[in-house]
Amino acid sequence: MTVQSITLTRSLGRPSFLSGLRALWAVMKREWMIFVRYPSWVISLFIWPIIFPLSYVLTAQALSGRDGSGMAQFQAATGVLDITGYIAIGTTIWMWQNVVLWNVGFSLRNEQLRGTLESNWLSPTWRFAYLLGSSAPQLLSMLMFLTVSAIEFVLFLGVRFDGSLWLTLLTILFAVPSIYGLGFAFASLVITLKEANAFVFLVRGIVMIFCGITFPISILPDWMRPIAAWLPQTYIIHAIRSASLSTDGLSAISGDLKALALFGIFWLTIGYLVFNWMERRARRTGAIGQY
Amino acid sequence: MESNLLLSQPTMASHLRALFAIARKDWKQYWRYPLNAVSTVFQPVIWLAPVYFMGKAFSVNGQALGFAQYSGTTDFMSFIILGAVLGNFINAVFWGMGYALKNDMDAGVMESNWLTPIPRLLILVGRSLTNLFVTMVTSLGMLVVCGLIFGFHPTGDVWSAVLAVIPMLIGLYGFGFAFAGLVLIVREANTMVDMSAFLVQIFSGTDFPVTVLPKWLLPIALILPLTYGIDAARGLLLKTDTLLSIRVEVTLLIVFMFIMLWLGSWIFYRIERRVRMLGTLGQH
Repeated sequence: MTVQSITLTRSLGRPSFLSGLRALWAVMKREWMIFVRYPSWVISLFIWPIIFPLSYVLTAQALSGRDGSGMAQFQAATGVLDITGYIAIGTTIWMWQNVVLWNVGFSLRNEQLRGTLESNWLSPTWRFAYLLGSSAPQLLSMLMFLTVSAIEFVLFLGVRFDGSLWLTLLTILFAVPSIYGLGFAFASLVITLKEANAFVFLVRGIVMIFCGITFPISILPDWMRPIAAWLPQTYIIHAIRSASLSTDGLSAISGDLKALALFGIFWLTIGYLVFNWMERRARRTGAIGQY
Repeated sequence: MESNLLLSQPTMASHLRALFAIARKDWKQYWRYPLNAVSTVFQPVIWLAPVYFMGKAFSVNGQALGFAQYSGTTDFMSFIILGAVLGNFINAVFWGMGYALKNDMDAGVMESNWLTPIPRLLILVGRSLTNLFVTMVTSLGMLVVCGLIFGFHPTGDVWSAVLAVIPMLIGLYGFGFAFAGLVLIVREANTMVDMSAFLVQIFSGTDFPVTVLPKWLLPIALILPLTYGIDAARGLLLKTDTLLSIRVEVTLLIVFMFIMLWLGSWIFYRIERRVRMLGTLGQH
């Protein structure tokens, strides 16, 4: 019997648009299975929306004093009448960005830590599908989170949503590209820079300090306000507060929506470019399996 | 040839060597990522910033008069900074002890560590040593940074406050044993650790006086020993109003310390035995 040797000049994989979609679907299915495999997400879904804002709401209550004199001072200084709704929306947007950074931002890093990133990278698939596929179930779970948050704010914190549901949904739609684009860029950077926790703390910290999650931007010192103007979360928080709590209508948020559209295009492009850069760099340096 | 003898000869010295090896391993791992270390100092500053700006809007000439009605001090930032420092230790126990086991599970070294002839509790104590030391260093750093940025003005006796906090910390680490046991059985620790640490901090009043809590939530705060530890430390260092007299609060902390050490290790061993019987130690 003779053994015939075959020299392969081409990859056996046949990447096409459809195979890319199948890979994306497979990653989404895997991520969803991992997500529902640990039922603690149900607890998070119901508990976090209430306890995180509660900590700031109670601090505000303590600052108000027993006779409410502090609150009168706050209202006179900021013009904010419903501080509970104000804090609840600001902190919820912060939580959204925070969860995206941890989940989407860590999706590749977690693969790296588990030792599966290198082997996945060797498969002849569209590599961006790994990142995109991780984001889709995350987006679905976040929409559930936002819905539960709104219901709980009404039931437990007594927040009155006098604004428009459709305008709020429109604002959320405009917010998605910025929030997830940042997540994509972040995910790509941390598998190269490794110290993922520190970078999450930095990015979410910037949002926490500059975007006015518990106070109006006007309170910030002069040098801090221009920084706030360059962060999409500032516009998201302002627009959702306006759309859901007030009856000012579309005109009050149109400027925010325009800014968010531009930020969305910017961050999605940056996210995709950073991913491609990281992918090329990782192949060149062979650092993708290191941690 | 059959042997009923265990090859290892555990002694006090070998236990101490193991303890040192665990602490050294954690120390090396911690400093391997220096940015994470820096961020632990600055992260509390970030958490405090929204409260600082919000508090400014509630104050007149830098004095939070409303806040004084609940706490006995208008210096709300010193009140909150001290709470944040003590909150660091709560986080350290939850993340350092609870989540350390989850990290071992993920890295696949949990089972092999468990097969070594040293007491399991020693592994946890070893994990806590570096954690406790690092938390002390970073908390001091944080106190300096926060003092410079927001202002920290202790008016009372520093050493009395430190002494009052010691039984609280020991009791807290006793509680950490029980919590580590829970992680062994629940396995998906992230949510549990994150949420438990946050809830304990809310109810023990790290960010506000617990008397602000609604009446139906206040009993939860009052059954937590940490509430009295944080309250006593503030009373001694910032001369704030306390829930009970400081003497009573410190006595309560000492009693809780012994109870938590005993109860924590008892719960840990019960769960650990159960996990070994189920054979789920290596699963995650």
